[in-house]
Amino acid sequence: MALVESLPAQGIGQDSFGRAAQGNVQRLSFTGSGSEYFGIWIVNILLTIVTLGIYSAWAKVRRNRYFYGNTVLLGRGFEYHATGGQILIGRLIVFAYLILYNVLLTFVPLAGMALLLLLLCFVPWLVARGLRFSARVTSYRNVRFDFVGRAGGAFLAFIVGPVLASLTLGILVPLASRWVYRYIGNNLRYGKKAFSTDPSIGTIYKSWAISAAIIILGLLIIGFVAFLNVAIVVTAMESPDLLPAEMQASLVVLMAIGYVLFFAIFGVAALVYRAGVRNVAWSAATFDGKHRLLSDLSRPRYAWIGISNFVVTLVTLGLMRPWAAVRMARYVNEHTGVRFDGDVGEIFSAIAQEGSAVSAEFMDIEGFDFGF
Amino acid sequence: MPCRLVEDGGRLVVCDDARAELAGGSLSSVEISARVGRIPRRITFPDGSLFETGENDAIDRFLAHKGRGREGIVHRLERFHPRLIAFVAATLLLGVLVYRVALPALVEVAVAVTPPILPQIMSASTLETMDRTVLGPSKLEEALRGRILNGFRRIAALSEGGEAAYTLNFREGGPVGPNAFALPDGTLILTDELVDLADGDTEMIVGVLAHEIGHVEHKHSLRQIYRAAGVAALIMLIAGDIGSGAEDVLVQGGGLLALSHSRAAEAEADRHSVELMIKAGLDPTAIARFFELLEAKLHDRSKTSIFSTHPGTPERRKAIMDLIAATRRD
Repeated sequence: MALVESLPAQGIGQDSFGRAAQGNVQRLSFTGSGSEYFGIWIVNILLTIVTLGIYSAWAKVRRNRYFYGNTVLLGRGFEYHATGGQILIGRLIVFAYLILYNVLLTFVPLAGMALLLLLLCFVPWLVARGLRFSARVTSYRNVRFDFVGRAGGAFLAFIVGPVLASLTLGILVPLASRWVYRYIGNNLRYGKKAFSTDPSIGTIYKSWAISAAIIILGLLIIGFVAFLNVAIVVTAMESPDLLPAEMQASLVVLMAIGYVLFFAIFGVAALVYRAGVRNVAWSAATFDGKHRLLSDLSRPRYAWIGISNFVVTLVTLGLMRPWAAVRMARYVNEHTGVRFDGDVGEIFSAIAQEGSAVSAEFMDIEGFDFGF
Repeated sequence: MPCRLVEDGGRLVVCDDARAELAGGSLSSVEISARVGRIPRRITFPDGSLFETGENDAIDRFLAHKGRGREGIVHRLERFHPRLIAFVAATLLLGVLVYRVALPALVEVAVAVTPPILPQIMSASTLETMDRTVLGPSKLEEALRGRILNGFRRIAALSEGGEAAYTLNFREGGPVGPNAFALPDGTLILTDELVDLADGDTEMIVGVLAHEIGHVEHKHSLRQIYRAAGVAALIMLIAGDIGSGAEDVLVQGGGLLALSHSRAAEAEADRHSVELMIKAGLDPTAIARFFELLEAKLHDRSKTSIFSTHPGTPERRKAIMDLIAATRRD
């Protein structure tokens, strides 16, 4: 027997990672680093441009493999199995449909209108297929995830929800969020076992109220400052010559700051809401009816990471984006966990015995890449 | 469970501490995942069993030994190395190239293949939204409206699309104030406030409308929308993940950007106004008079700045006068 290399393999870790275990809580961790991801990221961009966009499908695979592989639970990483070819085919199908749609709309406008209706049905189907694809190409401990949601649920969660939310100026956003989390959470499978979640609308509204308060308070402050300066602004409009040049310049700066602040308020409110809803929805979720999921993001910290990531990415022309992405992934993972009911070793070996609901032969040839 | 991966003849074999074979297969039937960073390598055997190891370098050495070293080329490019500085420089350079060459080309293609029904749908919904939110019904007297419509028909008939391609709508501007704007399908909107500002100078209003017709004929709105959408789409495609915040800003910001015409587009529309007015036998300085009026009444003396989408008013007036002088010389 020729022993070329002897490689120690990773054993199934049973010690807890991250935080001290309360009960039997196992937290996720993120083992990637900004500098390592930087190389992957810049090569992805370069090859995507050089190949006129075609490489972007393979770039997505490398990026996801990096992030999934570094997302570690109980000492083992997740795996992303999609191939660049699958994703490319999925994109080409969507692209071909859009071309067909445009050609028909140009030459046979009526048929084009009919296609628009078809598109309305097509999008939810595409979303459901995309979620199924994403789930099926994800595995943990050599057992695949699966997604069994249908187009109807996707229509409610991803079309009716956002439309209702925007028609009511954001008042029904929690309802839409609940639909999305229920659609994804109740249709996700790991091996043959199901996830389920039913976040209560009341708790989501509590999170929503904080964001609404941030927006109202922020706008009041901006309005108040603007009111204080209204005399100067009016003078500037009526007779600019009366104002010294420096004052005009500072007025422009002030308006620019107001503009940025306006967007920052909505940005913070959105981040705070996202963290709050994630906490509610994940903590309401169970796996196999007894293992509870958990998310305990701190809203201010999450918003701070989101905003500072954005600013750093912007001022470095995107070059710090890999660092920002890794920083966010690390924070989110470290505040996500599972409270296992029973011995984790036994739980996972039982699931592995049952095998996956989807075998490799039933994998989709095409990958509509909607992340989840 | 802990075990070892060994090569046994032409086969790869996983065995436990007692050297009992757990899984095995010929090298060609075993799937070894490509290397990405330091994430564990997966070695999948034909029977579906999986061997995972963090010893990436050892696997690479083994593959190189077997003449399969080329499989790792992307990973070798990705390693943290001074070479990445060259990659950054090349990416920035290519990015500028994409923005300067590929984006305008894509916009032209998109404009050329846009089905004519699309601008009609877009315009109808924009007008409806504006009617619901800011605009009110016009309170102008019928006679004044008739005079403006007469002048408008005269220039519309001389434009490329002909009279039928344009419709003029009178509205009360409300928060929009004195304004005139064009929707991509040839629907023009003129606010009462602008007519009041003109104070009976119908020719000046026609000059402004000729400017708006210029926007429609040069398809400025459509170009602007495609440009904004193209920037967002290209950045998302090329950079892959840019963070949800940056994505939101691109999409929302793109929408805002699409609402305003660029400075070059304004200058082009100014020129169009001058040409159309000369053709119609009307006073080509009408649009310049409008800028003069703006200056006098609204104290708009601002110089062109990078923040504004419209060129500075005095600058525009001068450019128009120069153009008229040049046209008259010919």
